[in-house]
Amino acid sequence: MLKALCRRMMSRSCWVYHANSGGCNGCDIEVLNVLTPYYDAERFGVKLVASPRHADAMLCQGPALRSTAQALRRAYEAMPAPKLVIAIGSCAGGGGAWFDSYAVMGGVEKVLPVDFFVPGCPPRPEAILHGVAVALGILGKSVSPRPPLVQPAFPFPRYHTDGEPPAGEPASGAAPAAPTTPR
Amino acid sequence: MSLTSKLKEAWIGLSAGTVTLPYPLAPHPPGPGFRGRPVFDAARCIGCGGCASNCPAREILIYDPCQELRVIRYLGRRCTSCGRCAEVCPEKAITMSEAFELATDRLSDLEQRLTLFMGSCQRCGRCFAAPTPLDALKLTGYRVDDLEAGRWVCASRSAPPGEPAADVEIEL
Amino acid sequence: MSAERLSAALLVVLGALANVALVLLSAPFFQGVQRRLTARVQSRRGPPLLQPYFDLLKLLGKEDLESGEAPGVQRVAAYLALASILATACLVPLGFPAPLGSAGDVLLLLYLLLLSGVCTLLAGAAAGSTFSWVGVSREMMSMMVLEPILAVALCVGAVHARSFRLEAVLDGSPWLSGAPVSGGLMLVVMLLAFQAFAGRVPFDVAEAETEIMDGPLSEYSGQKLALFRLAQMVKLVVYAALFVGLFVPWGSGWPFPLGFLFFWAKAFSLVVLVALVAATHARYRVDQAIRRYSVLLAFSLGAVVLAALGR
Repeated sequence: MLKALCRRMMSRSCWVYHANSGGCNGCDIEVLNVLTPYYDAERFGVKLVASPRHADAMLCQGPALRSTAQALRRAYEAMPAPKLVIAIGSCAGGGGAWFDSYAVMGGVEKVLPVDFFVPGCPPRPEAILHGVAVALGILGKSVSPRPPLVQPAFPFPRYHTDGEPPAGEPASGAAPAAPTTPR
Repeated sequence: MSLTSKLKEAWIGLSAGTVTLPYPLAPHPPGPGFRGRPVFDAARCIGCGGCASNCPAREILIYDPCQELRVIRYLGRRCTSCGRCAEVCPEKAITMSEAFELATDRLSDLEQRLTLFMGSCQRCGRCFAAPTPLDALKLTGYRVDDLEAGRWVCASRSAPPGEPAADVEIEL
Repeated sequence: MSAERLSAALLVVLGALANVALVLLSAPFFQGVQRRLTARVQSRRGPPLLQPYFDLLKLLGKEDLESGEAPGVQRVAAYLALASILATACLVPLGFPAPLGSAGDVLLLLYLLLLSGVCTLLAGAAAGSTFSWVGVSREMMSMMVLEPILAVALCVGAVHARSFRLEAVLDGSPWLSGAPVSGGLMLVVMLLAFQAFAGRVPFDVAEAETEIMDGPLSEYSGQKLALFRLAQMVKLVVYAALFVGLFVPWGSGWPFPLGFLFFWAKAFSLVVLVALVAATHARYRVDQAIRRYSVLLAFSLGAVVLAALGR
């Protein structure tokens, strides 16, 4: 019973550890903006702590570089369970615009299991606050999977068709690779 | 630091009230000109692939399963909202919306996928030499980006994937 | 054992439990008030008043990673930190006479307070990481200058009251002489040093969060961290009660509800003062802080000389 109470308190008081593993500091600045009076994350109980051993959530920023990957992994393993990893920004989410660079291994999920992504470059402080609120269960998600958009197939008149049916029905079939010779 | 200056500092802070925005409980729209997530409109898209060629993070991938179909996949995870795709689109099919509340635990929520029906060239399918350098940038031909793995392959083929890449013969 | 000795012993035990419960329940509330006030001074809304309770409950539910070089000593340090400060709470009057007040004298009080400081040193030494050692050295330097100030304050009271017994000393004893010069001097010194005893900005050099990653506590997690944080909160309450008992005793002697509430009002206003000072200052470097403590120590020694001369 006490354990259930303690688990419920995780959403009321989340101590975050901020780890920048090679980013440009844009998302750093936006994360620190969230702790300023204008956006005030402390009213949700979110506090910045200095040591990963005290933290519940890790705010990762910057891609996982080859040089910092080991340090990032050690910081993650230093956190006591239950823990959350929130990847902030487009670099942490997949490597950003530098995903194929020689120094970048990719997004942070190459090194840690990520629980939440907050895309943006950098995400606004409101977006980060929204992300933290979603992670803590205070708010629901605002994005949902968009159904794939399929352009309706309309019949195109085909010239020199050899009497074949108009190209409307094969939405997924194999079409002739070579054009037919004109008569 | 004298005592009076500290008292004055405390008084200034206290008398300013609270400047905290009621943000998650009340919306706080961004200012004009803010670029959020791009939104793709399949009805206007002509499938030229200019957006994919111009994306600096290689977020927009194109795959042609056959001659009549082109599948465009926007991944959304590495998007920096630079707006180059919207700027280069000839049909204004991409608009930069103001959506910034994009936090999610599943990356498939951020994806947009368009399946387009392409008309074929009257004479030789889709393989034709690029008339200008600008057209060469658009990588005409069959695009073969790796959609499942999310990998950009900067190449195009003259025949659909799975078929031998022989040039087509034209007989007049 | 005769019946009245048994009932007297039972009363003492109940009183001790009441003291302990009182400080344990009120300490997180005081810290919540401090955090809220700091937030308001910074013009933001701040956490709810019960936030430290949520923090402690959450820490109790976390996994306890036994990291650090000597986990056994870390465990002992955590338990001893809370135990020593709770034992001190039983010796201090909290609006009603202390249940164990006749069990010891001023020297016992001093040693128990020193023990709670030593537990922080033990914790840092047992953790063994570089940041912990820096925190330990800073805490040791601060303790070497601060504990004498506390001792001298209690001595001023003891000299005036002519006894070391706690009921005599912790009852406004520095004001007992005719011309309250030494009492006034000691009051000013203790007010200026109170921030250091409470371990808050500008004098929290030992546990500088942003500088040395929480110093001695950087290798603690989960339940033991909760014990240390609770011990820190209770320490503030006990020191406030000591200060009020020594220097501001007027009104605490009133009959039960009034005297009790007045005592806690005084302690609360001291806690609010600590929060206001913490919100408007920046942290001192360790050498600047030690220099300030030395000046205060010099003045406090002057005060005890004046007390011995009868002023």
